[in-house]
Amino acid sequence: MTYEEYLDGKPVVITAALTGGIQGKEAHPDLPETPAEIAEAAAAVEDAGAAVVHLHARRDNGERAFSTERFQGVTDAVRDATDDVIVQHSTGGTAAPDALRAEPLRTDPTPEMASLDMGPMNRGRRLTSENTRDTIDGLHAEMRERGIKPELEVFNNGHLNEAFRILDDLDEPPYLNLIFGPGTLAPPSPANLQRMVDQLPEHAEFNVIGFGPHQLPLTTQSLILGGHVRVGLEDNSYLRKGELATNEALVARAARIAEELGRPVATPAEARDLLGVESRR
Amino acid sequence: MACPHLEYRESDGDREFDTARAFCTVTGEFVQPVHADICNERYGLDPESDCEIFREHAGLDWDE
Ligand code: SF4
Repeated sequence: MTYEEYLDGKPVVITAALTGGIQGKEAHPDLPETPAEIAEAAAAVEDAGAAVVHLHARRDNGERAFSTERFQGVTDAVRDATDDVIVQHSTGGTAAPDALRAEPLRTDPTPEMASLDMGPMNRGRRLTSENTRDTIDGLHAEMRERGIKPELEVFNNGHLNEAFRILDDLDEPPYLNLIFGPGTLAPPSPANLQRMVDQLPEHAEFNVIGFGPHQLPLTTQSLILGGHVRVGLEDNSYLRKGELATNEALVARAARIAEELGRPVATPAEARDLLGVESRR
Repeated sequence: MACPHLEYRESDGDREFDTARAFCTVTGEFVQPVHADICNERYGLDPESDCEIFREHAGLDWDE
């Protein structure tokens, strides 16, 4: 998790966030929504270098779904279509009640990883993803019980405090995802990413999300700082200004830049070793 | 219950979908999936208090 590790050529874990739950085909015609579409995208990004796929589930009309049943459909399709990629389920859900937020952890098999939001995030004028400490602790307890590796979603610098609050309860290594963008997300700048990385414990691993135009520069910076990267249509619709992306193209670009910078792209097996993830394959 | 401005449509004239999607008759556009939870009054959300488009259309200020 350091510049020295970059110099040593530590493998980089590429996570592909394939679909999300915020926007859908109304915004991007090729955004995968159905289990079959998500599975096809998962196979393509695995071939392109992704070791982890971050999954959300949807209703047939593209709207958000949180039920175990809906996640089961997605995860079954993805597991069938891929060789070894690590499956990570989202437990995020703006405005959704806590009981629903835990449902993605209850598929069979359970996901190998799951996201764990570290605090509130605003959307629009009235929508807030609350993520109280009670919610965080409840979801984390269930992840521990089920052997699911949490990825701590750090929406801004203040959420580092919330991550440190549960640090002693985390299995090694702690894995934090630093998220940069508008609103209540961390203000996107190279200096802010550097400052947040400087505050991480030495033994932690970190991942970086940059929303929209910040995806390319900040994930590239993460490569140099010894971190990992998340790309995909959940976070960014464009490959470059005016040109719509695909999940596969975003992963292929991240893999190419990593290789150019001397960071080999981690296979799913290498990613499990690096992040302390139990295999469900 | 759902917002009176909500319809489910397979087409907006430009695009066609196999499954009807949430469409806002105020904006004349398909609704973002996350916002469709407000349109459908899910999870305690309510168009009159939570949707900027509904409130502006109804002439409501935020302090009302
Ligand atoms: S976007 Fe707002 S006004 Fe339009 S249908 Fe949904 S709740 Fe109603």
